[in-house]
Amino acid sequence: MIETEGLTVRFGSVRPIDGLTARIDAPVAGLIGPNGAGKTTLLNVISGFVRPESGSVTIDGKSFVGLSPVERVRGGLRRSFQTEQVVEDLTVVQNVQAIADHLALGSSARSSVAQALQYTGLESVRDELGGSLNLFQRRLVEIAKCLVGEPKLVLLDEPGAGLSNEEGEQLQRIILGIPEQFRAQVLVIDHDVDLIRAMCEQTLVLDYGKMLALGPTAQVLESDSVRQAYLGEL
Amino acid sequence: MADIAQTSFSQANPMAAALRASRLQILAIPVVMAIFALIMGNFANSFYLTAATSGVAISLSITGLAILYGQLGLVSLCQFALVGVGGWITLRLGHGFDLPYELNLLIAGIGASIVGIIFGLPALRLRGLYLALVTLMLAGIFQVIITAWNFPDGGDGFIGRAAGAGRQILEKPSLAPTPIAYFYYVVIIVTLGYMLAQWHRNAKPGRAWALIRKGQTTALASGVNILLYKLWAFALAGFLAGVAGGLLAGVAGQLDSRSFGASESLNLFALAVVGGVFNWYGALIAGLALRFLPAALQDFGAYLSVGIFGAALFQALAMEPTGVAGRLSLILGWFRKKLMPQKSTPQNAMSEGGARD
Repeated sequence: MIETEGLTVRFGSVRPIDGLTARIDAPVAGLIGPNGAGKTTLLNVISGFVRPESGSVTIDGKSFVGLSPVERVRGGLRRSFQTEQVVEDLTVVQNVQAIADHLALGSSARSSVAQALQYTGLESVRDELGGSLNLFQRRLVEIAKCLVGEPKLVLLDEPGAGLSNEEGEQLQRIILGIPEQFRAQVLVIDHDVDLIRAMCEQTLVLDYGKMLALGPTAQVLESDSVRQAYLGEL
Repeated sequence: MADIAQTSFSQANPMAAALRASRLQILAIPVVMAIFALIMGNFANSFYLTAATSGVAISLSITGLAILYGQLGLVSLCQFALVGVGGWITLRLGHGFDLPYELNLLIAGIGASIVGIIFGLPALRLRGLYLALVTLMLAGIFQVIITAWNFPDGGDGFIGRAAGAGRQILEKPSLAPTPIAYFYYVVIIVTLGYMLAQWHRNAKPGRAWALIRKGQTTALASGVNILLYKLWAFALAGFLAGVAGGLLAGVAGQLDSRSFGASESLNLFALAVVGGVFNWYGALIAGLALRFLPAALQDFGAYLSVGIFGAALFQALAMEPTGVAGRLSLILGWFRKKLMPQKSTPQNAMSEGGARD
């Protein structure tokens, strides 16, 4: 469960997040909003890359204030980036192993990596170099990295961008299974409203750093304020 | 069809192809080095044997540069100064105490590694051109110090001083008292050094370095302690340079301060790129080129080889980022495929699909 309380981020005179108080408890939750709404900034605050001016973030009741990004990773936080970050000259298994190395998993590291690869269907390309993978496989490597070593919260920043419909559906199935298989909560940012509608029980809509709506996805997407601000409809 | 996809991938990603075999390379190192040593040991005359001995020794310091540049993308232009540190420690220990040569080498490696960490501190904040400039200045400072100190004179004791004919010559290791034995000795120690570096590339540090090279944010999001792994790379590069310096000191029994100028570090970096920083044998190629070419061209003036190195660097930067070793690895891979055609496995099929996409 992600809880924020009066969260404010300031870059000079701009406030990409402005007094956000929200409680996201669905196993797979969505985060949407127009460009510049503060979605990625919120992910950056949760993962420790951006320090908030005020307010707090707690994950499963544990405060993350003052922890470095590395400490948050060790505490069970995982994230992917808008531009995929697969290392071209490492193999698939090495890419996933690279995060397991720093999680103090001891003897379970190997099985944890194997489980993540098997779950994402990357077993068959485990020894291929990152540079030889297609975009979908790269996205899957990013997700596999997020599943190593008992994750608690997985933040996915536009995991579906650039994928075909078929790949998108496969990605959906993989993301939807994460809470049950890995006992982790997932928060997904995506511009693809259909993807969010299909996957997320609960959705938070941001606009200019403020919460526009938070609730069951269907209900949120139907509300007038969201349609007006985000979908451009009335 | 499958073959075409595979070949076009190799050509499109020479760097990836060069690194594909890194796991096997650690076992190939002693085999290749043994063949190389036997050929050189049996066919080279004493002039070229000396050149080969110092070339192989220097190549170990180039391996350190290859770690910094190839693994982390960091340009360090003070590597030859660290060779000097290692050489100086070995000479002083050799004259001052009665320790086994191997122990002197180890201490030289550790000493240079500590200096390497200090030289690497700017890298925690700087990258690219600025890091290159700062490390070049450090090499310059080292040059000033050793020139002023008349490094490394061969007087008695640990800090003894002697000039001109009073200089003592450092004895070669008791295991390898003759030039030919010393050549084999150097090859064995350098082989161990290559293997140490290659192990690092394949293991946890190599993966962490790859993430840091990809981007600091990516590395942090994967839990990498960036400070620790950057300094680790500098420590390893320093260690390899220090041992290289110690081995170099044994070739003639003394070192000349004029050979440790800042321009030597520049030369070393240029040759590292030309040789290739993504394959272990790139360093060997570079080390041998650095000693053989000037030896072979000595009748044509001292600057001809520098000119050739410059042209080779330009060619490498413009057209061959994986260097001679990367090109060699592609050629070897091509022969391997011709001689041992692989059956298409489901694994290959999937990756080939990826390459076509």
